[in-house]
Amino acid sequence: MRFIREFPIIVALSFLFGLAFTGLVLGPVFASDIAQPSAKLVAYTPIEQAGRHIYVREGCVYCHSQQVRNVKADQNMVDAYGVSKAGDYYYDLPHLLGTSRQGPDLSNEGQVWGKASGDFAREYLIGHFKNPREYNSQSIMPSYSYLSDRELEELTDYVQSLGAWKVTPDPTEAEASS
Amino acid sequence: MTTSPVSKTAPALSPDNDRLNFPQMIAIPALERRDYAMQTWLFSGVFWMVVAASIGVIEAVKLFYPEFLQGIPALAYGRLRPVHVNIGIFGFMSMGYLGAAFYMVPRLTQTALYSETLGVLTAWAWNLNLTGGVLAILMGFSKGKEYEEMPFPFDMMVGLLEIAIAGNIFSTITVRKEPRLYVSLWYILLAIIPFPIYYTLGNVMKFRGIEDAIVNWFYSHNLFGLWLTTLGLATLYYIVPKQLNKPLYSHAISFLGFWTLAAFYPWNGGHHVIWGPVPMWVMSASVTASIAMLIPTISTMVNFGGTAWGTQGVMKRDISYRFSIFAYLSYVGTSLWGSGLAIMDLNAKLHFTSTTIAHVHLGFVGFGLAGLAAFVYFYLERSLKLGYSRTLAEWHFWLTTIGVVGYVVSMGWLGWLEGSDWAAGGSVQGVLELRYWYNVARAGSGGLLLIGQLILVWNIWKTMTSPPSDGKGLDDLKLVSLNEGVSR
Repeated sequence: MRFIREFPIIVALSFLFGLAFTGLVLGPVFASDIAQPSAKLVAYTPIEQAGRHIYVREGCVYCHSQQVRNVKADQNMVDAYGVSKAGDYYYDLPHLLGTSRQGPDLSNEGQVWGKASGDFAREYLIGHFKNPREYNSQSIMPSYSYLSDRELEELTDYVQSLGAWKVTPDPTEAEASS
Repeated sequence: MTTSPVSKTAPALSPDNDRLNFPQMIAIPALERRDYAMQTWLFSGVFWMVVAASIGVIEAVKLFYPEFLQGIPALAYGRLRPVHVNIGIFGFMSMGYLGAAFYMVPRLTQTALYSETLGVLTAWAWNLNLTGGVLAILMGFSKGKEYEEMPFPFDMMVGLLEIAIAGNIFSTITVRKEPRLYVSLWYILLAIIPFPIYYTLGNVMKFRGIEDAIVNWFYSHNLFGLWLTTLGLATLYYIVPKQLNKPLYSHAISFLGFWTLAAFYPWNGGHHVIWGPVPMWVMSASVTASIAMLIPTISTMVNFGGTAWGTQGVMKRDISYRFSIFAYLSYVGTSLWGSGLAIMDLNAKLHFTSTTIAHVHLGFVGFGLAGLAAFVYFYLERSLKLGYSRTLAEWHFWLTTIGVVGYVVSMGWLGWLEGSDWAAGGSVQGVLELRYWYNVARAGSGGLLLIGQLILVWNIWKTMTSPPSDGKGLDDLKLVSLNEGVSR
């Protein structure tokens, strides 16, 4: 045969692609730490889920990551909240890990501006969504004043849920979410 | 011609009209012009390129002047960002390079395209579908994961249309008259065949938590590696030997480059979550594969380098060739940079910084845009035998070059500074002031790029509407020279 027929090429390519597919797609399905939630992790409440939807819709993920890595750059967060684990994301669909940090990481925002801080934290978050530069003149975060009050409440609930479960969860809240 | 005559009635199943040729029977005479499909794809790609660049500039301005166009939900940064990326991938790169593929395949196979009608119709359907998908994102229906934001039914349509495109190209290759397969055709086969699998996987399947993230990046890296890179390299492998009028340096090296790329690229997805909350072996496999990508990169580097060695004269004379070399250098740069970013220590420092943004833009603009520009000028001059304005083309080249270099240097250096600051214990809030002037520089470079591309569009328009010149070059269905040395 003087020339390469396309058929063997296709078989070989399928084999190579199939290998990677098996390794990166099928393999993780059987990884035990992915298949079960972290201890203490609670599912999102319907309101938090609605807030999460707004987070997705407005593309917050493009500037805010939600993962703390065990590296020097994240050392402060590792010390304060620990490294993110696969099980922490058990209820996340779609995932919102993020790839860029135009703004700070939010995986533990529920501890930074959490419910424990009361109305003050809530007012801060809503005010900051509406006009970020009122709080930090250098901030480049867009103003979300176009969201309705209800949407802002939902988004705030979601943001306050992030990582909040890591500190002993409020029993009533755990009940409401189950 | 393999195209059957147009039938006015519904085709009957006779020995002449067997089932396999059914798509060819619905030929629309107005669309059955030679290269019509390829032109539709190519110029749609150029159109979307300008759109993507315009949106990019708007976003860049918002990054240092956030009040710009503030208060309009559809123009908020978080909605424009996925639109910019989706148009970049599915509009500019996919359509432009499919245009190139629809041009190369008939010439390399010495066979008329299986169906021009199907080619043109899929191009318009792709355009409409992309417009719909992008509007849906702007209206707030994003699916929320990178590169798979377009909601149903627009995401599904992309997959279905790709199958129609793949069928069209694949059928042409199958019934080809030239038995030998030039390396460009291998890359095109690799681009069109696995796409529906990973595309469906990324867009339709639902996974949970981290599995969702792993699949997301498996899909998106295949989109870059097996769809865009392969189509881009196929184009460069086609035009560079023709621009230089000499055969490829080595077919054996292109063979090595192709198979190692096919073996390692699909494993690269996991390098988006290095140090992240994924199983260690996902990371190890992807880091290994990303470093192993040095083999195809260096093969391509040597092969094009060997072909281009000592051709400074052509570079001065032929702007199309100069763009090819620019694309080649950017490809090598992006690939080496990508392998470097997968090194665990460097990734720890640079992962969330602007370095990644610089890397992506070197790939999309330095390689993608320059390669497409090279092809456009090549097509105008060698195939249509039209003389384009050299002055405008020079402006286009230099504005693009300054734009790319300005963009990549400003963002790359900023990323390094951010990474150093964070590694020293700094926070994101702490680098906001530092970022300001770099972001201004980025917007400025983007602006120059955009002006350059508008000049390209103006040049294409003027050239296509002017009467044909006597024409020096030829690129008809005579391609024996490319296959020189392709033996088995």
